[in-house]
This record gives sequence, C-alpha cells and structure tokens, in this order.
Amino acid sequence: MSRLRPGRWLIAVPMLVLALATIYPLLFTANVAMKTRRDYILDRFALTDRLRWDNIETAWSSVGMSRYVVNSLIVVSSSVLLLLLLGSMAGFALSQVRFRGSRALFLGCLAGLFVPFQVIMVPLARIMADTALIDTYPGLVLVYVAQFLPFTVFLMTSYYRSIPPEIIDAARIDGNSLYGVYRRIMLPLGTPALLSVGILDALFCWNDVLMSLVMMPSADQRTLMVGVTSLRGQYSADVPTFASGVLIAALPVLLVYLFLQRQIADGVAAGSTKG
Amino acid sequence: MPIGNAQPSVRPAPAGRTDAATGGDRRRTGAARAAGRFRSERLAPYVLVAPAVLIIVVLRLYPLLLGVNFSFTGDGARDGTAVGVDNYRELLADPLFRTALGNVGRLVLLLPVAVAIPGLLATFIYLRVPGHRLYRGVYFFPAVLSPVIVGAIFNLLLAVDGPINTLLGPAGVGPVDWLGDPDIAMFVVVGVHVWATFGMSLVVFLAGFATLDAALLDAARVDGASLPQVIRHVIVPGLSRTIQFVFVTTMIGMLTSMFGLLFVMTSGGPEGSTYLPEYYIWIQQGQMNRPALASAASTVLFVIMLVVGLVQIKLLSRAGREN
Repeated sequence: MSRLRPGRWLIAVPMLVLALATIYPLLFTANVAMKTRRDYILDRFALTDRLRWDNIETAWSSVGMSRYVVNSLIVVSSSVLLLLLLGSMAGFALSQVRFRGSRALFLGCLAGLFVPFQVIMVPLARIMADTALIDTYPGLVLVYVAQFLPFTVFLMTSYYRSIPPEIIDAARIDGNSLYGVYRRIMLPLGTPALLSVGILDALFCWNDVLMSLVMMPSADQRTLMVGVTSLRGQYSADVPTFASGVLIAALPVLLVYLFLQRQIADGVAAGSTKG
Repeated sequence: MPIGNAQPSVRPAPAGRTDAATGGDRRRTGAARAAGRFRSERLAPYVLVAPAVLIIVVLRLYPLLLGVNFSFTGDGARDGTAVGVDNYRELLADPLFRTALGNVGRLVLLLPVAVAIPGLLATFIYLRVPGHRLYRGVYFFPAVLSPVIVGAIFNLLLAVDGPINTLLGPAGVGPVDWLGDPDIAMFVVVGVHVWATFGMSLVVFLAGFATLDAALLDAARVDGASLPQVIRHVIVPGLSRTIQFVFVTTMIGMLTSMFGLLFVMTSGGPEGSTYLPEYYIWIQQGQMNRPALASAASTVLFVIMLVVGLVQIKLLSRAGREN
C-alpha cells in the first residue's frame, strides 16, 4: 500500500513522465537506426515502417568497427579477470587474516580511491611510454586494473568480512594452507560478490573513453567507445547510420542491464553503504 | 609476480593465526621443512595482498607525487628543468583554464539540485508512489551507458534541426542552438550529465532508506505531519550520512566523469565555454604537447577535489548537529 496521501497523483504523474524521458532517447535512437535517411529528414519522430537492418550493416562494416569490438572484448575481459583475482586475494587477506601492517595496507588501497585518473594522467602516460606499454593491450589493462582495483578490494574486503571466521578455522584444521583456504573456500564463497563487482568493473572498463584515448593513440588499437566517436565524422550527414553505430556500441550494455539489473544496482548500493 | 605462488597447497598448515602459536609448533615438527612451511604461511597474507598493493602504489599513488613534482618543471625546450611556479602562473593567466575554473564554480552551485532530484525521487519511491517497483530499474538505466553513447544520443536530439527543436517549434520557442550557444552550452551538458547519472545517486539513497527506522516515519504520519515536514524532520536527519555521501560522490562525478560528454558533445566549445579542468588537462597533454602545464592543472584539480570534499563534510556535519 502507498504511504502517500490522496495528493499522490501529483507526484506519480511527473515521475511517470520522467521515467519516459529516461528511456525515450534510446528508443528514439533505435527507431532512427531503422529508418532511411530520407524518412529521417522528412519526419524525425514517425515510427519506422519496418525493421530495416541496412544501416546497422553499414555501420558494422565501416572501417575498424569489428576491430574496435575485438579490442574492447580483449581488454575488458582481461582487466575484469585480473581485477577479480587480485581483489579477492587482497580482500580475503585483509578481512580474515590478522597480520602486521594489514590496516596500513588496507588504507593504502583505499587511498587509491581518491586519486582520479585525470590527476595522474600525465605521469601515468609517461610511465607507460617509458616501459613500452603504451598502445598495447597489457598497458591499458594495467591502467584499468589500477583504476578500479581500490574499489574492487574495498568491496571484496567488506564482503569477506561477513563470512564467519569459524569456516576458515575449520578449513585450516583440515590441513589447508592459507592459499588452499583462498582457493577452496573463499573463492567459491565469494561468488555473489565477485559477480556483482565483476559486472560493475566490466561496465566501467567497457564504458571508459579517457583512459583508452590516452593509452591507445594509434587508430587500430582503439576500443569501441573511442571508435564510435570516430564514426561521427564519417557519417555526419547520415544520421541513421551514425545512430546504428551508437546502437551497436550500446547493445552489449543493454543486454547486460536487462538480465543483471538487480546485481548492478545492488553493487552500487553496496559500495555506498559498506563505508 | 607473486600470482604464481598462489597455488593451492595440501601441506598441513601450522595451527596458529597469531605470532604466539609459532614457537611450540616449530619445536614439535622440528624439521627444517616445517620451518620453511611456517615461513611461507607467515608470508602468505603478504603474498596475497602484494599484487594489489603494488599496482595501486606504483600506478596510482606514485604517479600523484610524480605529477606534482613534474608540475614545477618546464615544457619543450625547458623540459626537465625546474621553473618554480611558472606553470601555475601561466594557468591562472590562461582564459581557457579560467573558464574551466568558472565552470567548476557553476557545478558547485548546481550541486544541490543534482542531489535533490534523486533524493526526492528516492523519497517518493520509498513512500511507495504508484509504480514504485518499476522506477528504480528505469531511472538507473542511463547510468550504465557510456558517456560517449549518452553524448552521441543527445547530439542527435539537440541538433539545431533535431527533434527537440522540432517539438519546441510549435510552442514558439527556438530553434535553440543548444550546444552552439556559449551562454547555455555548459548548462545543457551538465543537464545531460545529471540525466545520465541521477539513477546512481537514487540507488544510493534507496540503500540509505533501507536503514531508516520506518516506525519513526509512521509516528510522524500519525501525528499528522505533512510530506515536507516529514522530509525535513525525519528523512533528512535520518539520512544525513547518505546525503553527505551523495554530495561528495556527485561533485567528484561532475569533476571527473564528464570528459566523455565534453569530448563528444562540444569538444570544449563553443568559444571554450564548456571547458572543465579534466578536458583542459587532456588538451594540454595530448593535443598541445604541454605535459608539465597539464600536470599543474592536474594538481589544481586534485586540490579542488580535496577542498570540496573537506568543506562539504564540514558543512554537512555541522548542519547535522543543528538538527
């Protein structure tokens, strides 16, 4: 039951309008992508008369698109795997093992949260250039891992903190080393957290523009988000094809969101309340 | 790399998690192998933490120092030589950087609006406005899109001959050059940023509401409190920590995640009116080949973020006490 009084429709209607305003821009783009150029110029809003995939095909086959997708997939998946591995290792040790300096190390990891990429862009680009990592997959992966690791460690630590220490003690008595406990107990137990942190990390990496722009200067190393911006120049007069490119780039995220909406929102909420 | 060491081991582990349990353990097993095993167990937590700490220190904290240091050296012919505060002097004299700072000021002024919108919406959802189950998912949706995608979509919508102007035409407005008019372009970009990110804060607010004592709220309603009164006297004090968190994260978001929008929508124009420090840094380092000047701008951005964070925490904790 609603806890609001009769005047609630005064609130409900604007909220509904806002909800429509939230999804309409993307629906508009999808509709434009299905239209011919002529249809779009004649009427921007009219629904397309049929699903037309020509624009999508043109955008997909334009220079570099498939290459950009492959680049993004490789970089994002390696970054996420590395983030989850390092984040869960550190999170386990920092939450469940008592050792000298653990608090200082935890705070050190947290400090990374307060250093945005913009602030360290210049020296980081220089370090990457000096180590010949600029313009390579491992270089961008390292930059992504460094960017999102503080957040990942933080969330994994707070998740592992909720696991009763008796479980670990029992595993130790059964003869597991600390590494064994990590691999056999903590990794499987951490699955829900690994899943939601992993989805968030994947979104962050997939959506990034600035880091990719700075770390991958040459055209064939571009990730998809940077690649999409280059479509704009190519199809500035052909709005439907440009809209198709945008749609292609948004599609993976849309699918992930449709299926994993709850995990994503819960992950964001967890990041805010565990502080 | 210590990752290689993280293999599972079937050797029996020494009993203790603390230093005290060590002596007896060693005496009992005696052999040198046990001592090695013990040492590896003692090192284990460090081995587990090391890769993460190493990456964070080398690729985040160290570059911060490097950058500050770098900002006191010269560019081009004076590369590597100490130039004192010349870069900072040049920054303050640069009209583009001044615009960027002015825009930061505008963002600070708009901040309460950007926090109030998701706060109010979360309140209504919490109070179960009709359809409340759907709204979280719908409102959050743009937050998962890349700024590049959002920017590209709004480029279409806001074009001079685009759909928004087509809609406004019959109402007698426009056509407005949303992204080409230096007086409004910045506000349009901020508006798009808020459209794209308010769902993030909304989810954070809802998580905060989950910790709010519902009995308090019901008591207020029974006593006949109006909605504004409930918000002012129950919700705001009850959520002060969440509100503080959202203020800080929204401001940090405005300072550090609008690059994609600026890059796609305005490229800093028209007439440099949509420059923000992050865009200025990128232009100076990548396009103008002035890394030292860019470092100085980075340092200024970092200081702004620290100040904004500290001031907000101060102000809000004082406001919390007065309530």
